[in-house]
This record gives sequence, structure tokens and C-alpha cells, in this order.
Amino acid sequence: MDNAQIKEEKLMITLQSAFPDAEVAFMRKDEVSLTIDKEKVASVLLKAKNQLGYNYLSHLTCVDWMEQNEFELIYIIWSPTDKISLYVRTRIDREHPEMENTDMIWRQLNTYQREIREMFGVEFPGFVGDKDFILEDWEEMPPMRRDFDTLTYVDDTYFEREGREDARDVREAITKKSGEEIPDFAKKYSRQ
Amino acid sequence: MREKTTTLYLGPQHPGITGNMMVKLQLDGDTIVKAKTEVGYLHRAFEKLIERRNWMQSTTILCRFCVPEPDPPEAAFALAVEKLEGREVPERGKYLRTLVLELARIQTYMLWYAGQSGSAGLYTIGQWSVGDRNYVLDLFEELTGGRIYHMYIWPGGVRRDIPEGFEDKVLKTMDYLEKRLDQFDKLVFDNAIFQKRAQGVGIINPDKAIEWGVVGPPLRGCGIAHDVRKDNPYDAYDQLDFEMGVFEGNDVWSRARVRQFEIRQSISMVRQIIDKLPKGEYLNKMPNPMKWTVPAGSAYGKVESARGEFGFHVVSDGSIYPRRVHARGPAYAHAVTLLEDVLVGANVADVSFIMNSLGTCPPEIER
Repeated sequence: MDNAQIKEEKLMITLQSAFPDAEVAFMRKDEVSLTIDKEKVASVLLKAKNQLGYNYLSHLTCVDWMEQNEFELIYIIWSPTDKISLYVRTRIDREHPEMENTDMIWRQLNTYQREIREMFGVEFPGFVGDKDFILEDWEEMPPMRRDFDTLTYVDDTYFEREGREDARDVREAITKKSGEEIPDFAKKYSRQ
Repeated sequence: MREKTTTLYLGPQHPGITGNMMVKLQLDGDTIVKAKTEVGYLHRAFEKLIERRNWMQSTTILCRFCVPEPDPPEAAFALAVEKLEGREVPERGKYLRTLVLELARIQTYMLWYAGQSGSAGLYTIGQWSVGDRNYVLDLFEELTGGRIYHMYIWPGGVRRDIPEGFEDKVLKTMDYLEKRLDQFDKLVFDNAIFQKRAQGVGIINPDKAIEWGVVGPPLRGCGIAHDVRKDNPYDAYDQLDFEMGVFEGNDVWSRARVRQFEIRQSISMVRQIIDKLPKGEYLNKMPNPMKWTVPAGSAYGKVESARGEFGFHVVSDGSIYPRRVHARGPAYAHAVTLLEDVLVGANVADVSFIMNSLGTCPPEIER
């Protein structure tokens, strides 16, 4: 067992004893994962940051598991001494997505939360941050949700420039103008 | 402080900023009392597009996340996918990747010379360094077919082997650039105007730097030795001999010294790679791209770009499309929360100067 493995083992034991109901797992070299209820995420982050030295926030992301009617939030934090990444995962309900506000732990979480609120519609009660981040006056379904239909949105919002109606399917347009048939192998890629 | 402040919208079109981004400033005279970053002028929904592209098609979109340095995103994505698949990269592939990443670092630093000195009013250096950067782009063109976007680093290795006589050209270009760097030093670092503009400007609190998500040259300019290439080595970095540039000062000057030091380290690394380049395969045989599935799971791949840690969080559900790909660029922390803090108390004339020193790249904030 080398040095890195000892550190990983130690971290996993510490986390498991501090949070017995969490699911702590070894992912791969230099990476450990912890899955826990959403109410306890803030205490995991605080313990990792203040007591275990995981004071660098690499990333926060939201994944839409539409089939299971859930969003998954993944916080990735890193320790400059251990050089290990800890993935803190939690699942929240997709119908009424709400997650505890954690931007007092890491200030950058403010930016991540603004993005996730805008793109997935996850609410962070008590969170202060401008509503618009990337989008402006957006009133449709949050666009990064999997059921947001990009093509319908584009069809409803934008119009074809006059004389460019056939520019959508270049292959079809060329065939029509030149009178040549589409070769068999290319037919399966055609929109028609 | 006077009661009445003036509001100034700097951007979204501004010569000192790469891409479009606005900083809303509250000014008391010419001193900034409040700054607010406003993005949203460059949103291209890349992450949404990738959900409908297969794994191979994604690589053509990823490199467009940040225009000045398109190679680190390719490498970060490749590393994440390799983690998910457990795919090995042949030794030669690792070295060629490292070669491209270091050449990319050199070209980004050359572009930084132009941005940093240009925003201090020293335009000559910009003309020189962008001209010299083209010699590195020539190498990229010969190796990958593209000058800016390469789509060269694939999960499993690199797209093609180096052409004949390429090593010699690389070494000659490095010799030339090394000589030129001495002249840049005279123009930039020995220049009283640059020294006066850079020293004591754009101070980052070093005690809070890691906590605030500062990475790359701005972090090493706070005297903190952190570099993904050393901390979690990837590709061939564990086999190369190089040093991190760590300088005290926390200001624009110390960040400039970091880059001045590291561009020479990169040149030395390129020479080492050419010297050690192993023979053999450069790409692990890939499946049919149209039917390529990646095992379910999530992985965060990270590399050290010229501006700091660049990472991709890739989530797969086992299908031919990525479930979710989310980028973490250095500018995501630097240009929003950090910039808003650093700008308070600064002079309005220093805004784009400070932004350049932090490696601001708006396209990667909103993707």
C-alpha cells in the first residue's frame, strides 16, 4: 500500500465514522466519493474544509436524471496536502428542486448556484445573488433540463431569412437545384 | 468619500478584454468603490449541444470553450473519458499530448505579453509577441492541420503522429523564441512604465487565495506552490524535469514574473520531450465512433492551462451521448467573485490591466 492509498483509506474511515449514514466509496486513484442526504451536505463540506483540509472547491455541477425524477448535485473539493479529490453527491427532488444555500462556505459557490438556478431551476432558499447570470429575462423552462426542446424553441423564436428557407438541409437543397439523386449511403443522414 | 458616485459600464466591447464581458463600475472620482461582473454576451450553449452529440463529435465543440487556448479543454475531456473507460494511453501518445500542451502554453503566454503590455499602453511588445506566436501556430498547423483549433487530443491518445522533420522545426522555433524572450524582458520587465503600473496593483489576499478558487499564475504569484502538473501529474509530466514559478507579491507584477519564468520552463520541457520521445503507437485503438459508448459514472479531468486549473466534469449514463459535460475554467472564479473583490480601490485605468493579469476569458464563464 503506497502513501496515496493510505491517505485515501484514512479519509474514507474518517468520513464514514463522522457520517455513518453516508455512502463512502473509493472511485479511482486520488478520488473518493461520498453520497449523502441533501440536509447533511453542508455539514460534510464544513467538516472537510475546516477539519480535514479540503479547502479548495474544484467544481459544483447539477445533473438531470429525468427518468428518476431527480437532480444530482455533485460538489468536488480538493485538498492541497492530500492531493485527493472528494466528490460529495446528493440527489434532490426534480418537481420541487430545493437545495441548502452553501455560498458562505465557498464564495465561488455563489456563481455556481446562480448558474444552476438559472439553467436547472434549482432554488437555494436564503441565497442572495442576481437572478440573471447568463440568460436575460428568461421565462421559459430552465434550458439545461433534459425535457427542454431546443428545436421547438428555435422554431418558435426565430424565423428563416427570406430566400434562405432551404438552407436547413444543405444536401436536399443541392439535390433540388442540381437535379441529382442523393446517393444511397447518404440517405439515412437526410432529414426527409 | 463623496456621496455621489458615477456608474461606468466597461464593456462588453473593450480592447482590453478577450471576448465580450461587462464590468459595471461605481466610481468615486477615478477610484472604483464597487464592481460587478455581467456576463451573457457569448452564451453558445455548448454544454447543451454536447448532450446531443456523440463522444467523438463532442471533441470538436470542446476546444471552442476558450479561444486563446483551445488545447487544455481537449486534454481535460480526454482525461475524464479515460478515467471512465479505464483506457490506457500509449507512451508516445502521452508525450505528444504533453508537447502540444506545452506549445499551447507558450503561445498563450505570447498572447498574454500582448494583452498585458497593450493594456498598459505599450503596444510595440504586442506586435512583436503576436508575430512570434505565429511561429508556434505554424507548428500546430503542420502537426494538426489547424492553427487555432486542433481537435488533436483524443481519448486514448492523439489523432496523428508527427510529420517527418517536425522535431527539428520545433527545436529551431524554441531556439528562436528563447532569444526573443530576452528582448521582451528588456521591453517589459526593465521598463519603468510597466514596473510602475504593475507593482502593488491588483492585490489578492494570499491567505484567502486557495479558498477563493484562485489557480495558476495568480496563485503562484501569491507565493503558493500549486500546479496540477506537479500535484496530480497527468500525461508525461511526471517524467519531465521542471520547476514551478513561485513569486511573492500578490500583485500584477508577481503574476507577470511567474509567466516570465514559466515560458522558459515550457521551452525547456519541449526540448526534453523531443529528446525523450518514445517510439511506438500514439493512439489506443478506438471503437467505431458512431457506436462508441462510455461506461456509466462520473469523472473530473483536470489539467494545468496557462491560466490555471481547467477541468471537465463528465457524467455518462452508458449511452453513445454524454449525459452531462460541465466545464470549470480558471476565469469562472477569477473573473467573477475574485475580480469584483480585487477591483475595489483600484484605479479605473487599471481594470483591463488587472483583468489580463488574472487570465480573464469570458467565453469559458458562460460557454
